[in-house]
Amino acid sequence: MTTILIINSVEQQPTVREVLSSVVDAGETIYFLRLPTVRCLGPLIQDINPMIEYDVEYTISCLPEGYDVAELVEFAVETDADRICIGISERTVTGKARIDDLTESVLLHDRISGDFVVGEHAIILEELDYAQ
Amino acid sequence: MLRIEFQIRLAGIPSQIADIDSQVSSVEIDNALPVAGDSVFLSLTAQFGSDISQDTLAEKLPGVQIIDMSKADVNQHTYYLGVIAALSDASVLSLLTENQAIPHRIVGRNAHLNVVASVRDWNHLKEVANTVEDEHGSLELVGTTQTETIGFPLGGNKIKQSMSGKLSDKQLEVLETAYRMGYFKVPQEVTAEEIASELDISRSTLSERLRRVEHNFCELLFGPQE
Repeated sequence: MTTILIINSVEQQPTVREVLSSVVDAGETIYFLRLPTVRCLGPLIQDINPMIEYDVEYTISCLPEGYDVAELVEFAVETDADRICIGISERTVTGKARIDDLTESVLLHDRISGDFVVGEHAIILEELDYAQ
Repeated sequence: MLRIEFQIRLAGIPSQIADIDSQVSSVEIDNALPVAGDSVFLSLTAQFGSDISQDTLAEKLPGVQIIDMSKADVNQHTYYLGVIAALSDASVLSLLTENQAIPHRIVGRNAHLNVVASVRDWNHLKEVANTVEDEHGSLELVGTTQTETIGFPLGGNKIKQSMSGKLSDKQLEVLETAYRMGYFKVPQEVTAEEIASELDISRSTLSERLRRVEHNFCELLFGPQE
C-alpha cells in the first residue's frame, strides 16, 4: 500500500503521527508531499523518525510553486497511491474539519474517488480509484 | 456518513428578503413542507434591521404568500414567518432532497447561503456538490465531519424551535461559546474567566447571562415561576 501525506506546515506533527500510527501499516511506503509553503521537512521528519519508530519506507517529494490540483492527482496516479492524507489545520465553530482550497479541489476532482474518513488531525482519502 | 458545510451565493427566498432591507442580518429556513402545484410551505426566521409589518413584507414579496408572521419575544426585529413560495425559492433545499442528502441548516447571511447537510460518502458529496454548482454557480466547501447518525434534519430540532425567541442573541452567544469551549464538560475544560475574556465581557456579565439562560430553560420546562 502506498500513502501520500500532504504536508502544508512544519507544525503538522500530530497529523503525521496519527497517519503513521493509525492509518498506515508497518512496511508500507509513504510519500511526504511538501507544499511550496513549507521550506524544509528535515526537522519534522527527524523528530518523528518514521523508519525506526513506525517501520515505514518514506520518500520526500514536493509540489512546485503555482501547482494546481491536477499535478497532485497526476502524482497520485504515478505513485499508484492507495491513500491521500491531508492535515486538518483548523476546525469550524461547530467542530467540523475546515476544508482548505486544496482539499476542496481534491474532493471535487473528477478523476479521483474512493472512501473519505475524517480523523482527529487528518482527512484520509483511501481505497482510491483513478478515472482515465 | 459525512456531515458537510458549504456556502453558495445568496439565492431564493433568503435573497428576496435580504433585498428588502440592507440591514437584514440573517434569514434561516427552519422547516419546509411541500404543497400542491410546485409550491412549498416554509417556516423562516428573519432578523431585520428595524421593525417591519406584514403588509410591507407582503408588498415587497409579491410572489410569496405570507400565512403567518410573529415577532420574537426577546430579540429585537426578529420575526418568524410562515410563507407559501415557489419551490424554486428554496431550490438548494430541493436539490439536496432530490439527491437524497439530508439538509440540517440553511441560513442566508452576508451575501451567502450557509448550508449544513449529511451525505452518504465521498461520491455522494461529489454528486450533490455538482448538482448544486450546476444550479447555483460556484460552491465552497467549508467543513466536514464524520458522523454515525443523521442528527436533526431540517425542521426536526424541536428543542431549538421551542427555544427560538426565548433567548436573546447575547445570551445565545454566551451559551454557545461556553458550550464550544467545554465549560459544561466534567471536568470543565475552561474557566468562566477564560470565556469572559474570549467574549470581551466581565465575569459578572457572563454569570448574569448564563443565569438568565438557565432561568429561561427552566421556565420552558416547568412553566412560569409563581
